[in-house]
Amino acid sequence: MSLFVIAILCLIFVFLGSAVIGLLRGGREGSDRMFKALRMRIILSVLLFAVLIFAGFFGWIEPNSFNLLPTQ
Amino acid sequence: MSNEKYFVPHGTYWPIIGSIGISTLFVGFANQMHDVSWGWPVMVLGFAIIAFMMFGWLGTVVAESVGGMYNSQVDKSFRWGMSWFIFSEVMFFAAFFGALFYARVLSVPWLGGADNNMFTPELWEGFKATWPLLSTPGEVGQSGVAFSTNFKLVDTWGLPAINTALLLTSGVTLTYAHHALRAGHRNALIAWMLATIALGVIFLGFQITEYGHAYHDGLKLTSGIYGSTFYLLTGFHGFHVTVGVIMLTVILYRIQKGHFSMENHFAFEGVAWYWHFVDVVWLGLFIFVYWI
Repeated sequence: MSLFVIAILCLIFVFLGSAVIGLLRGGREGSDRMFKALRMRIILSVLLFAVLIFAGFFGWIEPNSFNLLPTQ
Repeated sequence: MSNEKYFVPHGTYWPIIGSIGISTLFVGFANQMHDVSWGWPVMVLGFAIIAFMMFGWLGTVVAESVGGMYNSQVDKSFRWGMSWFIFSEVMFFAAFFGALFYARVLSVPWLGGADNNMFTPELWEGFKATWPLLSTPGEVGQSGVAFSTNFKLVDTWGLPAINTALLLTSGVTLTYAHHALRAGHRNALIAWMLATIALGVIFLGFQITEYGHAYHDGLKLTSGIYGSTFYLLTGFHGFHVTVGVIMLTVILYRIQKGHFSMENHFAFEGVAWYWHFVDVVWLGLFIFVYWI
């Protein structure tokens, strides 16, 4: 599940980056690229949030349950 | 009509007004930090001068743009400027997320005995690694404050989840606005922009409410590394949402003035990207601050 979340987050950043390239290029082509990249960004973000909500609701993952600290 | 030669701006007084504003702001801020009585009003005066400068300077740029004084070369320079601004914003939040990761994954576990207990006995004996860590280790010997308290983390499914839903919805409405602009649907564009702005304002209202709860529960900027990173990350994000709402409002005003066409709407694109970025930063905050 963690890998899935990280992978989607990385993809979101890839699409944000793609949108910046579209913004930089400008013109019809750049504008198209930017719009499509931002649309994919929001689709993936909503998907990720929905997955988190479902995973929490069904108890697949528990919030604040990641223990990064040493056992004492 | 477009000017075919590169546009060279005329002489202007806005830069010096901006410099005076920034200087006034920091003189006021520095004195306010030293409890000087006139520090606060001077700070507000500096802020007002900066706001005046921005309104005037950006207004001049808009007037030049709609007056047809900019050619494709100037358009390119705006796009490069926005791209560097975006880069600086990414680095800005990367630094704060980096601080959170460093504290949680490296420094706090080290102090608690990770990696063969290399650091603990040398620094603060008896330190117990906990998260959230709400006091700075050095405070123990001086004031008797415990390393950890019973402060309960903010409930992930309460306001943080509602705020995430609000910001994501604003990303959807902005995408519809973007589509409406490209398709030439003016009324739909205005309606989606209004919805986006409203969602941003509601988000800010909830964020203020959450701060009230957190502060009431004893979580302050001085509450150890958790309090510092929590307020710095969420606080600067809230500031960015505020700036985003202001920019979206200006864009809505310009839409109503008819400044954008289906083909030429760079200002809208710049602000749209900014809003999407702020949305993604919140998603990161929801996962790394409220969830993990």
